[in-house]
Amino acid sequence: MKKKVFIALLVLVFCFFSGGIYIARSIDEVITGLENVITLHQVEFLRKDLQNKISVVQTDLLLKDSPHALPIDLFMAHATEMEKAAHVCITCHHTDEVLKTLYHFQDQIDRYMQMLSRVYTIRGEKERVDQEKNGAFAQGEAALAEVEKIVITSSEKISNRITLARNNIAETEHLLFFLISAGPLFLILIAYVFLNKFTTSVEALVDATRKIQQGDLRYRVQEKLPDEFAMLASAFNEMANSLKDQCQHMQQTERLAVVGELAVGLAHEVKNPLAGIKVSIEVLANELTLEQEDKEVFLRIINEIHRIESLLKSLLSYARPSGPAPVSLDLHQLLDTTIKSAGYSLVNPANAAKPLKEIEIVKNFSPEVPHVVADQGQMQQVFLNLMLNAIDAIPAKGVITITTQKESNAATQIIIADTGKGISPENLSKIFNPFFTTKPKGTGLGLAICKRLIELHNGTIHVSSTPGEGTTFYITLPEKQQLQGVSQ
Amino acid sequence: MPGKSYHNCSMFFAVCLFFLLATGCGDQQQHEKKANEPPGAAQSQKLKIGLISEYDIFSQKKSYEPLAAYLAKKTGTTIELSMFSRYGNLIDNFAPNGLDGAFFGSFAAALAIRKLAIQPLARPEYPNGASTYHGLIFVRKDSPIREGADMRGKRFALVDKASTAGWLLPMHYFKENAIEDYRTFFSETYFTGTHEDAVYDVLHGKADIGAAKNTVFDHLAESDSKVREELQILEISPEMPANALAVRRDLDESLKQKLKNALLRMDQDPEGKTVLRAFGAGKFIAATPKDYDPVFDYADKIGLDPATYDYINE
Repeated sequence: MKKKVFIALLVLVFCFFSGGIYIARSIDEVITGLENVITLHQVEFLRKDLQNKISVVQTDLLLKDSPHALPIDLFMAHATEMEKAAHVCITCHHTDEVLKTLYHFQDQIDRYMQMLSRVYTIRGEKERVDQEKNGAFAQGEAALAEVEKIVITSSEKISNRITLARNNIAETEHLLFFLISAGPLFLILIAYVFLNKFTTSVEALVDATRKIQQGDLRYRVQEKLPDEFAMLASAFNEMANSLKDQCQHMQQTERLAVVGELAVGLAHEVKNPLAGIKVSIEVLANELTLEQEDKEVFLRIINEIHRIESLLKSLLSYARPSGPAPVSLDLHQLLDTTIKSAGYSLVNPANAAKPLKEIEIVKNFSPEVPHVVADQGQMQQVFLNLMLNAIDAIPAKGVITITTQKESNAATQIIIADTGKGISPENLSKIFNPFFTTKPKGTGLGLAICKRLIELHNGTIHVSSTPGEGTTFYITLPEKQQLQGVSQ
Repeated sequence: MPGKSYHNCSMFFAVCLFFLLATGCGDQQQHEKKANEPPGAAQSQKLKIGLISEYDIFSQKKSYEPLAAYLAKKTGTTIELSMFSRYGNLIDNFAPNGLDGAFFGSFAAALAIRKLAIQPLARPEYPNGASTYHGLIFVRKDSPIREGADMRGKRFALVDKASTAGWLLPMHYFKENAIEDYRTFFSETYFTGTHEDAVYDVLHGKADIGAAKNTVFDHLAESDSKVREELQILEISPEMPANALAVRRDLDESLKQKLKNALLRMDQDPEGKTVLRAFGAGKFIAATPKDYDPVFDYADKIGLDPATYDYINE
């Protein structure tokens, strides 16, 4: 847009200057044209003047020897004026062709003047004097005829040149009118196009803002806007995306709060009667003499009560997790402890020497990873949950690789990868949803709790999986953060 | 009261006397002031100078205009040139036309000395050192005319009856060749009025014989080679003084002197040299009435008395 505004400004300045220069040049051309017309009229006047002066001398010649004859000095003055007028023609013209004609005419005038002189000085018989006089008069007439010829020949040329000059003036005048009328129209058109583009873009953005304002958070600016407006539209769309995410997050938070309230209520309501039931069943199981089969029934009831308690505990943990008690944690030490704890699940009760599954745990810890600030118990809960899931995913034999590494953006990444059966794509997007599980006896809260705990630590958790090859979880925790309790 | 009346009269006369003296002194001061002013500072005196035509009247006047302008500048005057179509007119109209001077031909000058008592001031000396000219009688080379006897029945182009070369010389030639009455001897005689026309008339066959001065003949020959190639000179007159500036005798002496000095010093002045070059002269030399003795002698030989001579062209 800046570029276009600059170009438009340049075009305006160019139009202004070029228009100004053209108008100045046109005025100059018109003035030159008018000067030419005046000069051409002057030429006509000079030729008429020359004709008149020759006629005056001819008249003087005819009046010579008559009572009306002029004194010789006056006659000479007339003849000299005629000669000067003839000479002016030569000083005016420059083309060789015209000059040749005029030099010939000048010779005629010179000859005429010599003959006039002769008429005024010769004395002799009447016949000779008359002959000289007639000769001079004939020469004068020839000169007049020559001027007439030049006038007729050049009149057409002069007329054409005057017409041409007038046409040029008229053409320039039309062009000027065109420029004066079309120039502003052109500028208005450019301004209209420019403003139209501007207002269209602004209108599109205003419309989008109104849509968002009206609650349509899915609305995005679809129009292809020009230049900086495209950037603005892109930013607007990003903002809308963010707004939508925030809204969803808020809704999720609200939902969790509701679930938490429900869970707490439910736990309180169920926990105490359940404890009574549990104690009662245990008393009955201990005090009554029961057959082995009946004892097993009592044990199953107690186990189911334990499951209900565990479920209630998980539900409380997800809905209303206890606030983190952050400490500076050595992740590697915590992971080692967790690996050890997870290892207990592989112990075969029947044969301690032979584990239930052949799982190799590979530790790929980076020495650069620093301590992180986190709740030790919650972190251990997360790692243990993921490791147990990994053990569950491996059918009989496999590898679990635990990697730690320092990320560039002042964060630490923990990667837990298994070579288990993997997760299908349609389930992959749901695995962090509460109560989603593929296990027959799972609560579907394990990974949801993991995600919730990691987010409580301002971290992220992602998963990638290929069915048949394995699953990898990526946890990223910030190295330094301000959590309730301890800061680093 | 008589006392008071006397006093009033005395006062009146005293005032009148004061004004008279005051105005008288003023005039005297004005006069003295004028006398002390350099030439040209006061209102310039106007001089009218006459010209006769050796060449065509327009060329003749043009050739004298730079000279007149130079003299006007040097003498603090304004000079008006006045052309005369006949030599004799110059003499007749010298006084009636209010001429102060004129560039006279030698015979016209001689006549004017006798009739008008004009005073020659200066005459040109040509670049070849001559301040005189000869009269020439000439014919076409292809003409059979070689002597007086051959001229019978031919056409003779004279210049003017007040011209030495164009009249005195032919008259002298006729006398020597026993041509008693030229009017009957020739089929036609006429006066061209200029030496140039006399030369060209013969060259172009308008006349069979012509008479003109050698300075004009030579000048024309410079620009037209045919003049020398096609014309044959039959007779040459004795040397005559070149056309001189002569002024009326009663012209202010100081002005005469200024004019003369300006002319005589022209060759020492760069501007004067330029004017002289354009005029066709090397310098001006002083002229006196005695310079015209050869003209008078020549006229005397043909029995012509300048004092009574009728110079009007027929």
